[in-house]
Amino acid sequence: MSSAAKLLLLGLTALLALALGLMAGALPADHELAMQILTELRGPRVAAAFACGGLLALAGALMQTLFRNPLAEPYLLGVSGGAGLLALLGMAAGLAWLWVSVLAFAGSLLALALAAALGGRLLARDHTPLLLAGVMLAAGFGSLIALVLSVAPIERLPGMLFFLMGDLAWTSNPFMLWAALLLATGTALGLSRRLDVLQLSPLKAASLGVAVAPTRWMLFTLAGACTALVVAQAGSIGFVGLMVPHALRKTGFSGHRVLLPACALAGGSLLVLADALARTVIAPRELPVGVLTALLGVPMMLWLLRKP
Amino acid sequence: MSLAAHRVTLQAGSRTLVDTLDLVLEPGEVLGILGPNGAGKSTLISMLAGLAVPACGQIMLDNQLLAALPPLTRAQHIGVLPQGDEGGFFGSVADFVALGHYPFGVAVLDLTPLLAAWELADLAHRPLDTLSGGERQRARLAQLAVQQPRIALLDEPLTHLDPAHQARLLAWARNDADAGHSVVLTLHDPNWAAGHCDHLLFLYGDGRWQLGTPAALLTPASLEALYGAGTAALWRKSDRAQPV
Repeated sequence: MSSAAKLLLLGLTALLALALGLMAGALPADHELAMQILTELRGPRVAAAFACGGLLALAGALMQTLFRNPLAEPYLLGVSGGAGLLALLGMAAGLAWLWVSVLAFAGSLLALALAAALGGRLLARDHTPLLLAGVMLAAGFGSLIALVLSVAPIERLPGMLFFLMGDLAWTSNPFMLWAALLLATGTALGLSRRLDVLQLSPLKAASLGVAVAPTRWMLFTLAGACTALVVAQAGSIGFVGLMVPHALRKTGFSGHRVLLPACALAGGSLLVLADALARTVIAPRELPVGVLTALLGVPMMLWLLRKP
Repeated sequence: MSLAAHRVTLQAGSRTLVDTLDLVLEPGEVLGILGPNGAGKSTLISMLAGLAVPACGQIMLDNQLLAALPPLTRAQHIGVLPQGDEGGFFGSVADFVALGHYPFGVAVLDLTPLLAAWELADLAHRPLDTLSGGERQRARLAQLAVQQPRIALLDEPLTHLDPAHQARLLAWARNDADAGHSVVLTLHDPNWAAGHCDHLLFLYGDGRWQLGTPAALLTPASLEALYGAGTAALWRKSDRAQPV
């Protein structure tokens, strides 16, 4: 199948997923009320889910190229930890969601800045220090989060857990997320040939004329911004950013020119479907969508890994 | 197009590996670099490629300072085969080989003859990471061949290759040089060096270096000076046709 055909197929899948997302869940018999639910509640949420999934998968693909490692994912450098810590502190203090979201965004940027400051020196040649700094930060944030959870007021714990597992119920701004998705995909596409070369060793990439360090910093910034935005809107939704790019690479999307838009489409579709399930399986209660992405993702990933 | 090193000094930490090297690489020339492990062969390749800056001295491409060239322009003239490491590449062999065209922009390439020349035609659609070490080395050589560099710098190109493919690589280097390009390769076997190089550069790893023809440099005494006492016997005992 040609690349264009594959992308077209993913595009159709995305439309189908969006339609399913809108249909999933009960609607009242009253037509007007039903329309109101669709346009003011479910529609924005489905749209936000798609954009978040797309952004996460895109960030995952960029991180995998940055670290030349198929296990890299958007939260590798402690973005979710930094966001989680500040967001939980905000929740413990009883702040409104808007402020929690702002704090989460600030926490993401803080984590990225720390990782860059501690490990970014040799990025032209070696990405290991950045990786190690990020992984250490993530571990540190993880223990601080556990600390906050263990002393937080008990009635606030469910909200905190939902944030940590990722939850789309609070997303307030699908337009911003969509704008970010389009902008990020476009920017990444502009870099796509360079990113193909960047998969080679840094020395080889440099010998082919790629400015390795600046391009890696661009990747770091772009992937970090995408992730921070999603975490601030929906908490740390796991697995989409790891699995979608990996699965697409396994199924023959190797060049970034095709891989990156494919990630946006497939990541978006996956999260819309996962969120539809999260809203409906134990309705009227909801599950955090992160639980669903992992439940869907783990078996899919294991199945993919079986293939040679 | 000629590449020249003027009074170039290479250092690793406080150690001087190569002291005030003067070297001119002319079109049509195959230069072999020999020296013990850690003598600075790979570092010198990086410097000559413009990918690292020497502690002292200058590298010139024709009359231009190599360090001042834009990366893409440099990549249109100079190609490098670094020692193997493509752990991050997830695509097919054909995709991998085609990346060699990057400095020249987007194009639809017909890779068929090239893949055939490196015996990769049957492997073209396999993921790169399923190849054997030698097959992967051939893919890396084919990638370099796509770049068609006027100056090719190959760091241990014979690694992982069986003798037939080693011979094929050295024949490629000779042909490439005869077509007016220059080829630099680091290698360890004096027999191959004798048969295929126009000039040799010995790096002793302590700052000393020696430049000359294979006939002048490949004597048992000089090989022992380079690799250590008793090492010349390693090649003398071989039952191959012996230049040493």
